[in-house]
Amino acid sequence: MLFESFTDVVPSFFGWLNQGPMTLTIFLHTLVILPMFWIYQSEKKKLNSK
Amino acid sequence: MANKNVSVWSSISFWRRSAAWVTGFAAILLVWLTFDSVGQISMGTDADLQKAVAEKKETRRVPAPTVINYKIGYAMDAKRGHEVPTIGEKELFFGKEWSEKDAAALLHLGKLTSQAKNCMDCHTLLGNGAYYAPDLTKAWLDPNWEKFMYFGQKTKEEGIAYFLQHPAKSGVHTRKMPNLGITAEEAKGLVAFLKHMSSIDTNGFPRNFSKTVNQFKTGGSNAH
Repeated sequence: MLFESFTDVVPSFFGWLNQGPMTLTIFLHTLVILPMFWIYQSEKKKLNSK
Repeated sequence: MANKNVSVWSSISFWRRSAAWVTGFAAILLVWLTFDSVGQISMGTDADLQKAVAEKKETRRVPAPTVINYKIGYAMDAKRGHEVPTIGEKELFFGKEWSEKDAAALLHLGKLTSQAKNCMDCHTLLGNGAYYAPDLTKAWLDPNWEKFMYFGQKTKEEGIAYFLQHPAKSGVHTRKMPNLGITAEEAKGLVAFLKHMSSIDTNGFPRNFSKTVNQFKTGGSNAH
């Protein structure tokens, strides 16, 4: 299941993150990989304007 | 912007910025995770425990030491998909009800004894240790104690304390526990330590505890 209902005893951000295999994957890709596209584009721009 | 056919992949500054971002982000996440874990594994107070018992709703993973004054159960939670400890009605522990201070002192003695006698050399406690001897995380709930009639003692806690002081005489497994010279007072502390540990919500660890209990009840061995 992509998202599963939150069943942890203490509600927490990391508890939510660990509910299913996809939640952690989606979170890490959004917050780690996506900004790297921006870094890539800005470096490209910098090199092009040199 | 003219297309100068630049190579971003071979640019040092791209890799440096990416590495800084990933390392920095992971560091922040890990510091946050640490504080989140500390909050969840810190022990609750007696007031938390009384509230949980009154409302029949557990809010702390690690209850106060006074949990030794209550019956501990272990029940399947269909929603969470594993067993969780339940705290039932009050029961005497070594014939009395323990105050917050006394319970904490007894538990502390038990913890120190478990470290001094190096239980983890053979046993596993909350995921740490060895599997030469049975997992102690939920040992208080083990049906072995009833099956062996508490080694002739009146209550479960007295039976376990007796076993700890005379392990070789009352071995229940093919592998017998050595006599570690545990005193009566230390044994009391260890039993409190074990009872408290069984009340900790470990997200169903050790996995399939009830399954092995059922195997044991139908004639199989619970030594694993």
